[in-house]
Amino acid sequence: MESVKIVITGAYAAGKTSFIRSISEIDILSTEYEVTDEKERQLKHQTTVALDFGKLAINDDYVLYIFGTPGQERFDFMWEHLSIGCLGYVVLVDSCRPAHLNETYRLMERFVEITDAPFIVAANKQDDPTALPLTYIRRRLQVPIEIPIVPCVANDRESVKSVLLTLLDHIAVQTYGQKVDDLQEDPE
Amino acid sequence: MALEGNLQDMSLIDLIHIFRMGPKSGVLLLADGSEHGILYVSEGRLIDSVVVRGQEQQVVATAEEAVIQLLQWENATFTFRHDPNAVVERPTRIFHDSEWLVLEGIRRRKSPLQGPSHQRITMDSQLELASLPNQAKGGVNLDLTQWRILSQIAVSQNIRDICDNTGLEQNTVIRTVTELVAIGLVEVTNVLSPKPVRPKPANQQSGHKPSSLTPVPAGSSAASGDVSTTTSSRGLLNAIMRRVRGL
Repeated sequence: MESVKIVITGAYAAGKTSFIRSISEIDILSTEYEVTDEKERQLKHQTTVALDFGKLAINDDYVLYIFGTPGQERFDFMWEHLSIGCLGYVVLVDSCRPAHLNETYRLMERFVEITDAPFIVAANKQDDPTALPLTYIRRRLQVPIEIPIVPCVANDRESVKSVLLTLLDHIAVQTYGQKVDDLQEDPE
Repeated sequence: MALEGNLQDMSLIDLIHIFRMGPKSGVLLLADGSEHGILYVSEGRLIDSVVVRGQEQQVVATAEEAVIQLLQWENATFTFRHDPNAVVERPTRIFHDSEWLVLEGIRRRKSPLQGPSHQRITMDSQLELASLPNQAKGGVNLDLTQWRILSQIAVSQNIRDICDNTGLEQNTVIRTVTELVAIGLVEVTNVLSPKPVRPKPANQQSGHKPSSLTPVPAGSSAASGDVSTTTSSRGLLNAIMRRVRGL
């Protein structure tokens, strides 16, 4: 059985662990650690230091692993390892914390250097009436129009499914110039 | 359920824009040291505002003047709470639209010593007590000088008279009258040589650095991405799509 992977990244406390927990068919392996930074501790007491790890069996031949990157930048040495060989990645951003946008921007710059895998941006907490609109998030993150930004509620399975389907379509468009539903099966 | 941050991360101009685009209803609370500001938003419109100072919550400015002062803040923390009920019965005390307020705020930033152009105060300015006393924050705390000048408004022709009657210096009287106007207790009824508001081009975009972030087509060279292009075969993408849909 072969394995493929998708990476869920984002700044600190973006909701990556919740996102993976919503979609994984196993209890995710989460390696959390007490937060050291006082400001960050106000948001979250523990952070993911190594990785979050979810799994989804695709068929008899493939299994999809979903990895969440550690949020704190001092663990960014893990990002490169996690991004190697990924189909694509989701950049998760908190729609209710403008400070998150600057952190996310830096993270996206770094990821574009690390990997050329296709990515989309998922704006978490869009069920909150105070959430920043997607157009504003796109402008602040300076995301080109061809890269999708989609609403997301990380602890809602249907929402997470929608994000993943958008990512898969984006991967197909970036790789083959067509959405997944328009693709023909491999000749072999 | 709140939008929280610092004005360094998201300017008040951007917040006002977001409120209008929503449109949002609720209360924006700002804190900058000992000063606190409140901005009431109803369906995207700014309807009232107040700035208070210190533990006594002395009112510094209300309504439009408060918004203009808040627009000068750069390092305040903020919390916006979505709460239509909190503003539904609040009377509207801001009558200019948000664009005018933003432009006035920018103009004030460039010329901080000037008050609003329609309220520029000179020695010949005539004053009257405002018809609607300010009720913001449950009352107004005035200092002795403010009370002295306030008591003279009904019996003085203009600011020059107030100076003569109280013996206070011109600068002190003008500064204090400006405060009283800002609080909303006093209105300028006759301003000599009023200048029309001329909105200047606003460069109000939040100071976000330019980016070179552009999409990189998959399949181009990358240090670590060679596996992704080999594994993302069409059949595999189809299979994953079916699996995710079936969840």
